[in-house]
Amino acid sequence: MRLQDPRPGKWQLFRIWASIGLQSFGGGATTTLLIQRAFIEKHRWLSIEEFTQLWNLCILTPGINLVALTVLIGRKLGGAWGIVISLAGLLLPSATITCLITVGFASVQHLPVVQAILRGVVPATGGIMLLVGFNFALPLIRRGYKKGVLYLLASSVLIIACALAVILLKLSVIIVVLSAAFLGALFFSTKADSPLLEEVQGEQQ
Amino acid sequence: MINPFIYFLLFLKASLFSTGGFSNLPSLHQDLIANGWAKETDFGQSIAIGQISPGPNGLWVISLGYLSYGYLGAALALVAITIPALLVLIISAGYTRIEHRSWVQGAMYGVSLAVVGLLLTVVWTILHQPGVDWKGLLIAVGAFGLALSRKVNILIILGLAGLTGYLLYR
Repeated sequence: MRLQDPRPGKWQLFRIWASIGLQSFGGGATTTLLIQRAFIEKHRWLSIEEFTQLWNLCILTPGINLVALTVLIGRKLGGAWGIVISLAGLLLPSATITCLITVGFASVQHLPVVQAILRGVVPATGGIMLLVGFNFALPLIRRGYKKGVLYLLASSVLIIACALAVILLKLSVIIVVLSAAFLGALFFSTKADSPLLEEVQGEQQ
Repeated sequence: MINPFIYFLLFLKASLFSTGGFSNLPSLHQDLIANGWAKETDFGQSIAIGQISPGPNGLWVISLGYLSYGYLGAALALVAITIPALLVLIISAGYTRIEHRSWVQGAMYGVSLAVVGLLLTVVWTILHQPGVDWKGLLIAVGAFGLALSRKVNILIILGLAGLTGYLLYR
C-alpha cells in the first residue's frame, strides 16, 4: 500500500473542484484529465485503480458521468458535505461562466475570426480526449499483459468492437456497455483474482 | 408561454435517460421543438459554446437553457443535470455488496474496456466534425503530444490551438 495524503479541508476541496471546473475549457476530456492529476498525482487521495472503479460506476449512472464522479470523490473525501462542496465547486463557477459566454457568444459567433479559432480548438479537444482514453487503457493493458497474449488480444478486440458498434452500427451506449459487461463476466472472470475474498465469502454463505 | 415546471421535467427526463454529456440531446430536441420552446439554431449554438466554455461537456444544456428561457432556464437546466448524478450513490451501495464475486470483477473489466472504446468514438466524433481537415488532424496530434508530455497546461494547449486555428483559417 502506498501512502495517502491526509483528507482535505472543506475550503481546500471547494478550491480544487472550482479550479478544475474553471480550467477545463474544451469539455469533459480536459476535466477528466485535471481530476486525474489533482486527486491521483498531485494529492494522493485516490489510486488510478480506485479512480477506474469509481468511473465504471459513473458509466452505469444516467446523466453526466463527470458529475457522478464528482459525487463519488466528494463522498470519499468528505462524506455528505464533501458531495455538496464538490458539486458546488465544480458546477457553480463553470455554469455561471458558461451562461455568460452564451450571452457574449450569441452576438459574435457569426464572425469569421471566432469560426477560425473554433476550427483550431475543436480538434485539439479531440487530441486531449485521446490522452484520457490512453490513461484509462494503461492499467487494463498492464493487467492483460500479466495474464498472457490471448487475454491482451481479447481485451483489445473488445475495445475496438465497442468503438465500432457505436460508430458503424449506431448502437446505443447503454446497450454497448451492458454487452461488454456480459462478455466480461463470461470471458474475463477468474477466481485467481481474489482467492482470499472468495474464501471469506464462502464462509459467510 | 413556457411552463417552468414542465420545462424542468423535460430537461430532467432527457438527463435521466442519457449517459454522457451529449446523449440527452435527441430527447431535448424533440420535446422543446415540439412545444415551440426552443429554436433549431439554439441547439447548434449551445453545443458550440459547450466546446469552448469551462466545465464538463454536459454543461452545454446551461447554454440551451439560457438561449431558450433566459437565466431561469439556465438555472433549471443546472438542477436537472445534477439530480441524476446522485443516483450513483444508490448504484455504488448495491455494487459494494457484490463487488468481490468473480463474475462482477469480470463484468467490470468488460465495462472498463468498453469505456476506452467509447472514448475512442468521442475522439472520432470530434475529429469528424465539419471544419476539421488534415490541418485539424495535425492540431489534434500536436495537442495529444503536448498533453502527453505533461509539461504544458491544458488551457495553454487549447489557447495555442485557438491561435493556430486563427492563423490557418481566418
